[in-house]
Amino acid sequence: MSLVNLAHVCSHLNNATKARLGFTSIPNSNLHLKLCLALQNDGFISSVVRGGPHPPPMHPLLGIPVAKDETHDIEPLTQSNVASRRLWLGLKYWQSQPVLSKITMVSKPTRRVNIDVAALREIVRGEKAKFVEGLRSPGESLYLSTDLGIMEARECVEKKVGGLVLCRVL
Amino acid sequence: MSFARPARCLICSFSRAASTVGPRVPRRQFQLSATRFSDDKPKPPVVKQEPSKALEINKDGPSPAPETDVEVEMRLRDLPRTLRPEHFKEYTQEEKAALSKHYTPEQIAAIEAGEAAIDPKHLANQFDIRDDPFAFKYLDDFSVIEPGVDKHVRAPESNSDYTATLKTEEDFIDDFAQFFADLPEDFTVSDWVRFAETNRMTIGKEENELKPSTSLVPDLLGPGEHLEGPTEKPPRFYDDGETAARVDEEPSDAMKALMKATGYDSLTIGKMRIRVLVSHRVVNQTRLGKIQSQYMLAIAGNQKGLLGIGEGKSDEMPNAYAQAMFRAIRNMQPVPRYENRTIYGDVKGKVGAVELKLMSRPPGFGLRCQSLIYEMCRAAGIKDLAARVDRSRNHMNTVKAAYEALMSQRIPEDIARARSKKLVDVRKVYYSGIPKIERGSVRNRSFA
Repeated sequence: MSLVNLAHVCSHLNNATKARLGFTSIPNSNLHLKLCLALQNDGFISSVVRGGPHPPPMHPLLGIPVAKDETHDIEPLTQSNVASRRLWLGLKYWQSQPVLSKITMVSKPTRRVNIDVAALREIVRGEKAKFVEGLRSPGESLYLSTDLGIMEARECVEKKVGGLVLCRVL
Repeated sequence: MSFARPARCLICSFSRAASTVGPRVPRRQFQLSATRFSDDKPKPPVVKQEPSKALEINKDGPSPAPETDVEVEMRLRDLPRTLRPEHFKEYTQEEKAALSKHYTPEQIAAIEAGEAAIDPKHLANQFDIRDDPFAFKYLDDFSVIEPGVDKHVRAPESNSDYTATLKTEEDFIDDFAQFFADLPEDFTVSDWVRFAETNRMTIGKEENELKPSTSLVPDLLGPGEHLEGPTEKPPRFYDDGETAARVDEEPSDAMKALMKATGYDSLTIGKMRIRVLVSHRVVNQTRLGKIQSQYMLAIAGNQKGLLGIGEGKSDEMPNAYAQAMFRAIRNMQPVPRYENRTIYGDVKGKVGAVELKLMSRPPGFGLRCQSLIYEMCRAAGIKDLAARVDRSRNHMNTVKAAYEALMSQRIPEDIARARSKKLVDVRKVYYSGIPKIERGSVRNRSFA
């Protein structure tokens, strides 16, 4: 689990949304994929497609690449092409503002922050705990890597699991 | 759709046969609350009845009581099954007499018409112990208010009647006419004295005149107030001369232009909270020398969510003030307010070297922030807020940064819309939307 690459992804997403890009690509890894799927599930990004170095074909109606496209075949993942795979993300905008406006790392490559459920409860309530600021703005999310996969902080509290705090999304 | 059986996924209902034989499996539901299997109903409570009680019920109708004199066990569920339409009888004469004490004849007619409209068969069907998820955990027919359990319903204890008026001359003539008409044959002076002492001088509530609240024992409720809480402010008894003079005064040309541009009348503008927050001299160096002028920064707000800032610069102080004030009024924009008291989450603002952070706070916290932000919050009608101004504390830039921060708030509804999520404010559901304030949840994100 390389947090260095994840930090690069966060910076890249910030830059891409500031440039108002429609979609962008990040290096492929299981961590990135799971985090992006969590982001997509929460509505921060519109699509996640694993493609090659060139952008996958657009969906004829949606105008963005989609994972399950009947018209185009997505190249399956094999051992020979895994190194060249990238994740293509569709970015969202609402009223000329990016939906994913700011994504910042909480854990750093040199300092990983693990949090238990009790501290996570405080954070979800908006209070600072274990040097992690509370979720105080509407719609603010915190993503954790847990035993049950990558989840949002509130979902972690629901399922009573703690884990490694990855990033904060606003 | 009933509340006992919540809405189910439409597509799922197509994929199954409508009438399934066998045990029912809960379908996928839209809501997240735990599903209840309708097959495993909770067992009804067993009522141990005294024989006399059972006989009493039998007399009223519901069930044939066993003729044993030992304790009778009867399941509550069996009670409604034995009900028949003929058990629901019409009102007796005594009951009607009791009703007539409380209701007017028209209301009694309406009640009777309503009773007649209900088929007794349906009543018998309806008489059942609830077992839906929303049923109460205890048995009660809610016919009486239990002290300690139920909320008290008290009559308003107030002697005051704010609509009472003094009697006119015609009213007194009527009183005298009534007095003379009612005068007995053998009248004495005491009759007249009694009349003169007891005859009322006002029309309205009797206690208002005979037993008014005093300054020693003041009235609990002010004019326009109810037990449910304060309502609209009562009309003022008198208008102070200052306001009247201001209305009569011919507005200046600038004021007329402002009124035309904004659509506010002079009274509304007069009620606005306007403050000059920054005022100092500025100097322009030209080849002719230093040219001094006055700079002013004013804020304007209606204390109900509108706030604007305006800058003015002129050789003369009054001109600069008028410019700043009118521009502030023209620039007024709505500030999002959570529950009409604080802001949505924490917001940051930055102008020049001033970086500040405004933080939402719980009710009753107050405005714990520096004076400039305090005045802005007062003008905008924000009551609970904390602020931290980092780096520079330049007054002008602080005001501008605070305005920028207030305007950069993000509303939960917009966020939900942007993320294609459904946002439900549960307080609107559970409290029937009783407090009439703007809704939206800040910390308790309830994206479904």
